Amino acid sequence: MTAFFDALPPGFLLHLLGGVSINFWIAAIGLVLGLAVGLPLAICLASGSRWLRWAASPVTALMRAAPTFVTMYFLFQILQAGPGGGAALSPVMTVAWALMPYAAAYIADSGADALRHWRAGSFSAALLFLPNLVRAYFVMVMSSGISAAIGVQEGISIILRQANAMSSFPQQLGVYLLGILVFGSIMQAGLLGVGALRRFATALMLNRASQRAGAQSDLGFDGPRIEPSE
Amino acid sequence: MKARLAALATALLLAAAAWSAALAQPAPSAAPDAAFAAELATARRAAGAGCKEDAVDRLVRILCRGKLRVGVRTNYPLFAGETAQGLAGYEIDIARTIAAALGVDLVLVPVTPANRIAMLGEDRIDLTIATMGHTSLRDGQARFIRPHYYQSQTVVVGPRGRALTDFDDLAGQTICVTVGNASNAELSGHNARLMLFDSPAKLVERLSAQACQLAAQDDSFFAAAFTDPAFAARYETKFGFAPVPWGMAVGREGTEHLAQLLSILSARFHRDGIFLNTAATHGIATGFLERQRSAWSGHCNSATALQDGTCLAAPLVTAVPATPWAGQVDAIEAWIEQRLGLRATLAMFKMAPAWELVRNGAINSGLLILGVSLATPCIAVLIGLALGFGGLPLRWLAQGVCVLMQSCPVVLTLVIAAALCNHLVGITTLSGLITAIIALGLINGSYAGRAIADAVASLRGDAAKRDEAPVPPHRLFREGLARAETQIGAFIINAIKGTPIASFIGVPELLNALTDTASFSAERATTYWLLLVFYTLAVLLLVPVVQALGGLLRNRASAR
Repeated sequence: MTAFFDALPPGFLLHLLGGVSINFWIAAIGLVLGLAVGLPLAICLASGSRWLRWAASPVTALMRAAPTFVTMYFLFQILQAGPGGGAALSPVMTVAWALMPYAAAYIADSGADALRHWRAGSFSAALLFLPNLVRAYFVMVMSSGISAAIGVQEGISIILRQANAMSSFPQQLGVYLLGILVFGSIMQAGLLGVGALRRFATALMLNRASQRAGAQSDLGFDGPRIEPSE
Repeated sequence: MKARLAALATALLLAAAAWSAALAQPAPSAAPDAAFAAELATARRAAGAGCKEDAVDRLVRILCRGKLRVGVRTNYPLFAGETAQGLAGYEIDIARTIAAALGVDLVLVPVTPANRIAMLGEDRIDLTIATMGHTSLRDGQARFIRPHYYQSQTVVVGPRGRALTDFDDLAGQTICVTVGNASNAELSGHNARLMLFDSPAKLVERLSAQACQLAAQDDSFFAAAFTDPAFAARYETKFGFAPVPWGMAVGREGTEHLAQLLSILSARFHRDGIFLNTAATHGIATGFLERQRSAWSGHCNSATALQDGTCLAAPLVTAVPATPWAGQVDAIEAWIEQRLGLRATLAMFKMAPAWELVRNGAINSGLLILGVSLATPCIAVLIGLALGFGGLPLRWLAQGVCVLMQSCPVVLTLVIAAALCNHLVGITTLSGLITAIIALGLINGSYAGRAIADAVASLRGDAAKRDEAPVPPHRLFREGLARAETQIGAFIINAIKGTPIASFIGVPELLNALTDTASFSAERATTYWLLLVFYTLAVLLLVPVVQALGGLLRNRASAR
């Protein structure tokens, strides 16, 4: 064990955490972009106008279907080869934009649900939009590891580079396990945060339910499904 | 007066006859020095006989004009780059030496890789010395001077201390390359994953920023980068391949004598060490020039050496065989441009090696999609069974797998799986495919398996609330599957969306294949549009299939 840590360069853990902060940054930009595109779509999807719903549905379906990794490659190559020859987007922004369709589609779906609940008077159920948003953010933090493929210096890139520099296979595995530990802690902390937010929303729901005698509790609402972005 | 005119006319005719005789036999008379002197003297005589602006022979026109216009690069350090004193470098010095040998002034004309041959054809320059590789394709566009004045090779540059000695070590590794480089095909053929960039300068930028670990490019280009002590301290050349001879070139029309003279001059420059010493002065690699000097001062120092295949390097053969349907693809491209106003370049369907890559990539992508579509529900069922019905050790094991899969980013999971596979059996196309299918199946199957277990738990809860008798396990599981079908379907689709990530570990699926194709066809826009459309359509088409299967599962459960 000591030999393993001796083989790591000094300050590696700090360097790794610095890289992971870029994953957080990428996911944050992706989420902002997703909100910018997803919220108008959510309004259209939950709108009373059939035309607006018809217009928003295929756009949301397309965004839901676009594979993040391919989208990232597409943006990376096409924008680099674009007019003027220079990259219009930095690699970090390229990944953030690649995460945007996933975020936008998810926000459109869950936002539309939240709006429907809001209109139906289930304000607390609508509030579940927030924990779902936090959950999506952590999923995007994990997904932003794909940016290693275009050379962004984030957590996964740092782990892979260090693993390559290790002299033996067990040491390489050690570096990978360290990566799992760091990213796993983040993900589990994120899931705990989601749980706390959900409990908060549930408490609000119970509170409102007790105020409305005879009113049916909407505890069963769990928000739309969410899966890791590939 | 008439007699004097007749005498002048006779003299001109005699000079013309002598020039014609020389034209008929351009071979050197004896040794290179004598041959050069004879060629130059003949041309000077012709020039002295009368200079016309529209003279056919380029050599005569150069001598008449007293200027040699040489096309040179301006941004290729050590070879031809801007300095405070003007243009400087190996090629600039060679141009000066040639002009001096011809006894004319030198005019340097900036050229780029895109226009260096066109400018010869348009008579805007007489000669180009502009880092140009001599290839079989270019042989039809310009007249190349042999012996060649330099030879470069593609080198793989990587961090010092990283073990990498040949192509075998490149499998699954990411290498930064420039788009359109002919040597890319060789790299991708050894299962390296290519990251494409527009210009060589970006490779050095990326290496310096450690955004690329490995890069491949001409050694002549990296020569300048290695003059930076910081770069040289961090990186080294790992190995080289695909040598390309560099040729000076003249136009195709009226250049027989100019080309002959320059060939003789090049042989002399090799023999006398002029090329070698000039290169050494500028600190560029001299291995090729040392071998050439040895040859041209030894067995090639003869009158017949310029026709001797053993003394002259052959051009690099770069012609790519076309597919049988290349003509039809051309017609489709023209139709798209005419009707839709879009400039689509479908190079991957016109070049035989590119088509083979794309076809294999599509097959591998199909296998990946099929594989993860089967692996995800299978693993989900196993995890669902273990979590919902297993004993404590089995539940803990399944729980551990779920936590591990949820804690590990997809890319890292794939890399770890590939590292294990490489350690145990080695990475091949088949083992890479199987590894990717298992890894993607485990990631998505663990989520879906937990959804099944949750559904089973909720069914048990419902039964307990209603005070019903315990449902038999097999029925409970079937109903749990039906209840979790939406989640299972979602994770199957998610796994399908994730298949392109397999390219990260070097699986030759469609994304990798098209990137490889783009790397040597120099076309990216259409390629990546097609890729995005292919994967998005694949997911869009498979969503209803998965939903229909889910509906079937639900109906069967409710029917019983």
